[in-house]
Amino acid sequence: MSEASTVGQVESSKQPLLSLLNDLVGKTGFTPKSVFQTFVLPLIGVCAFLLIWSAAAQKIDTSLGKFPGPAVVWEQFGSLYDEHVTEREKAEAFYERQEKRNAARMEKDPDYIPKTRAYTGKETFLDQIGTSLVTVMSGFLLAAMVAIPLGIAIGLNKTLSAAVNPVIQIFKPVSPLAWLPLVTMVVSAVYVSPDPLVAKSFLNSMITVMLCCLWPMVINTSVGVSSLDNDLVNVSRVLKLSAIKHVQKIVLPASVPMIFTGMRLSLGVAWMVLIAAEMLAQNPGLGKFVWDEFQNGSSNSLARIMVAVIVIGVIGFGLDRTMLSIQRYASWDKSKSSH
Amino acid sequence: MKWLKPLREKSKRTVTQLGKAVAMTAMVGATTYSSAEELGYPEKEELTIGFIKLTDMAPIAIAYEKGFFEDEGLYVTIEAQANWKVLLDGVIDGRLDGAHMLAGQPLAATMGFGTKANIITPFSMDLNGNGITVSNEIWAQMKPNIPKMADGRPQHPIKADALKPVVEKYLSEGKPFNMGMVFPVSTHNYELRYWLAAGGIHPGFYAPHKGDTSGHIDADALLSVTPPPQMPSTMEAGTIYGYCVGEPWNQQAVFKNIGVPVVTDYEIWKNNPEKVFGVTEAFYEKYPNTTIRLTRALIRAAQWLDANENGNRPEAVEILSQSNYVGADYEVIANSMTGTFEYEKGDKRPVEDFNVFFRYFATYPYYSDAIWYLTQMRRWGQISEDKSDDWYKELAAKVYRPDIYAKAALSLIEEDLTMSEFFPDFETEDGFREPQTHFIDNLVYNGKKPNDYINQFNIGLKEGDRI
Amino acid sequence: MSTLLDISHIDMVFETPKGPFTALQGVDLKIAEGEFVSLIGHSGCGKSTVLNIVAGLLQATSGGVILNGKEVSEPGPERAVVFQNHSLLPWLTAYQNVELAVKQVFGRTKSKSEIKEWIEYNLQLVHMDHAMHKRPDEISGGMKQRVGIARALAMQPEILLMDEPFGALDALTRAHMQDSLMEIQQELNNTVIMITHDVDEAVLLSDRIVMMSNGPAATVGEILEINLERPRGRLELAQDPEYTRLRSEVLKFLYEKQRKVESLIKNKDSTVSKRSQQNVAA
Repeated sequence: MSEASTVGQVESSKQPLLSLLNDLVGKTGFTPKSVFQTFVLPLIGVCAFLLIWSAAAQKIDTSLGKFPGPAVVWEQFGSLYDEHVTEREKAEAFYERQEKRNAARMEKDPDYIPKTRAYTGKETFLDQIGTSLVTVMSGFLLAAMVAIPLGIAIGLNKTLSAAVNPVIQIFKPVSPLAWLPLVTMVVSAVYVSPDPLVAKSFLNSMITVMLCCLWPMVINTSVGVSSLDNDLVNVSRVLKLSAIKHVQKIVLPASVPMIFTGMRLSLGVAWMVLIAAEMLAQNPGLGKFVWDEFQNGSSNSLARIMVAVIVIGVIGFGLDRTMLSIQRYASWDKSKSSH
Repeated sequence: MKWLKPLREKSKRTVTQLGKAVAMTAMVGATTYSSAEELGYPEKEELTIGFIKLTDMAPIAIAYEKGFFEDEGLYVTIEAQANWKVLLDGVIDGRLDGAHMLAGQPLAATMGFGTKANIITPFSMDLNGNGITVSNEIWAQMKPNIPKMADGRPQHPIKADALKPVVEKYLSEGKPFNMGMVFPVSTHNYELRYWLAAGGIHPGFYAPHKGDTSGHIDADALLSVTPPPQMPSTMEAGTIYGYCVGEPWNQQAVFKNIGVPVVTDYEIWKNNPEKVFGVTEAFYEKYPNTTIRLTRALIRAAQWLDANENGNRPEAVEILSQSNYVGADYEVIANSMTGTFEYEKGDKRPVEDFNVFFRYFATYPYYSDAIWYLTQMRRWGQISEDKSDDWYKELAAKVYRPDIYAKAALSLIEEDLTMSEFFPDFETEDGFREPQTHFIDNLVYNGKKPNDYINQFNIGLKEGDRI
Repeated sequence: MSTLLDISHIDMVFETPKGPFTALQGVDLKIAEGEFVSLIGHSGCGKSTVLNIVAGLLQATSGGVILNGKEVSEPGPERAVVFQNHSLLPWLTAYQNVELAVKQVFGRTKSKSEIKEWIEYNLQLVHMDHAMHKRPDEISGGMKQRVGIARALAMQPEILLMDEPFGALDALTRAHMQDSLMEIQQELNNTVIMITHDVDEAVLLSDRIVMMSNGPAATVGEILEINLERPRGRLELAQDPEYTRLRSEVLKFLYEKQRKVESLIKNKDSTVSKRSQQNVAA
């Protein structure tokens, strides 16, 4: 390591970026070694990846042309953003036209109550990112609202646990994608409303995400609860804590590390499953974007899919890190919350 | 231009009028709603319309992009669907208000073949537009069997006779000859079957009463369902040797260098009706004004697509190549949309009428068009029992709704947004086209006598047959 | 002296997969108010079981426990327990741990400021006022045990039950804790039952030492009165012949009369008590 860090320093005098990092050392108290490990090594890794990628891309010929290298993909990042801006301009024009139309109708038909309808144009890449994020978070939170109380009940009650366990064990390994057709049919049968609050497709994706989050959360919570230290149970008994207080003051805090581990696990899986579900069910979101681009088969399609792949990865990483920070903040047991 | 003849015969001024009408549309467009009193405002204004990524969805894209929907006070969201089944389910369960459909879909649904639901069609979306493509490997084996023209290029139309020895060779080697079509009741299924059967290749029977919906009974070529946009990649993967699909997925095979389109449906049956616009019967009953206004917007879009001697097509192609519509490259879509069709790489031939959206009364929902699909369903066993000629006519009249179309068209004529020359005489039209010729096997189709028509085929069920 | 706690004819039989196991048989013991009683015996002799029955954490198979004229049927704060491994809630600070107990016991009778005062008083008593707001993982083992004692004391129990409170501590810390405990006892004069393995500890702290015979079917073997004068000083007693005699009495009981044949390396009787608690829970 000491050898490696001197290499880092030597290079740093040559390259502006590295000398900038060297400045960081002075200001933030990072040692040169830690700077090397936290910044320089990952940077080298990314650069190496980009080089291998662009070299390999040159060699791969698909029926849609060469596999996109980093430069082409970067270009598509820009063009997707431009499309987003253009679409927003179109949306504004749409609202203006609508306003005029409403006003004109008001003149003819004074009883008419003007209504502003949402823009009907296409969802841009950025919109799709937003949709996927909202879907995954709402499915995840919904699952948490069901799974944590259920997990606590199962963890506390051996009878319930014995009764529910086989069901959980059987459903746990089922890919939520297998549920998707059933969810779709049930939602369309049950969720009938002339003016629905949320779209059915959103509900389908969200329930699929929820089903996927449910089991790891239930299992982790119940394990966390049932592995509660007997001495702590005895403390609670000696103090004669009521059932509610027992859960609130002893069980819940004691299980927080396990609950968060379960939540983090399920969020990671949920993100992956959501993308697949969106592809499969054509529900709005990043998955649909990927699938649409694949189906379009235009000369830009592969590069655009690659953009989506990178974005999906970055968001997945971001979600995991966010969960980890929340977990670290909320959990008393620091030993279990490191990754 | 060949396609203009029938119009010219009616009125020498038609072409210029068509141009004028479109120009007027653009000017009057903003104030259309003012004259909509008789028709009434739409009951439902926010609509979602589904489509499959195919160039023949163009009327929907154009109606949106050119503001024809908005002129009707309709705020339409257009959504690509994964496959025809998802699309149909979407319309049935109300996720979609209406959709670009295969002509066979509303008929089959109303009849109860597959999902049962009453779906109606007030608007026929186009004529022609499909092709049959085989992989390079099959093409190499077919090519020696095809007569050549003086310049050495294959003589068209290429018949399935050229494919027959290839299929026989595969069968004798014990290899199933797999081909793709897009849906059991799709135009493509019937066209592929028609072409194969005309060349003596048996495409197989269905027997839904025995629970067999694979359509493989007695088959020489095994046909299976693949969503249109996945056709090229499925063939590239070797799962199927050929397919019948709409554009741009035949041209895509040429561009990707993975296959050769051998025949267009224009050559199988000149000016065959193709996609329709479908809504549920319940939707129409609940929202009659909305349905009529949708039809108005689509008629205007179709008119725009064929106006100025296809002069708007390049702009249409530009729109269709957007990723939210068809999304394929401009060149690929333009290849078929602008009056040409590329067969073998470099063998580009003019087919002015490959995509017809408006001329030849293309958008009028003829009962006889519906009945042709029903005859093919009967021919291949999807309708397992004999039906009377009246049954065919009644079912066609339940699904195809020229009455809605007429209301839409007449109101447009009244507002000078189109002209009566472009439509059949609504007073006298009975919904049956004159007996049609121009089939690849030279048979004649008379929609008034479906059972007589079925009895003409060499391969296929005839009156009295049952699997 | 009046009897505060009466343990009479306790039998304890555990159901095990190999059939019933009699842990205790005919345990009788009376404890007077203000008395400090140690239970000593080999591992597995059922000391903890006795304590758990008194605490109400276990139910005797037959016989019963009467505290202040009332039969014990469930756990309660009037019989506060100091657990062997402190059993502090790891997510709460020392103050909050004590607070949980105080609020539970005095939440209705004391005002907010009184509660605060009372918590601080008890933490001062165990010399933990300087680290009140630290969490268990931030303080040493001895400090944790001090907080555990403060928590028990803060409940103002009628009897204080201590299950090998200093067993897990090193010798020096243990000596400190014993001195502290004597100091507190001097001040509060609580009634205490303490389980211990440590002969010196038992003699140093107790008014009486109850020596238990080996299990199965363990029971009270001998009872030794410790009439050493209080306050007791560890150094002075080391020279005291009476102390030496008492000490050897206990040793004799343990290593001659009740010599344990099994290996002594085996774990403390906590395994037995854990198993028994699981049985109860099941």
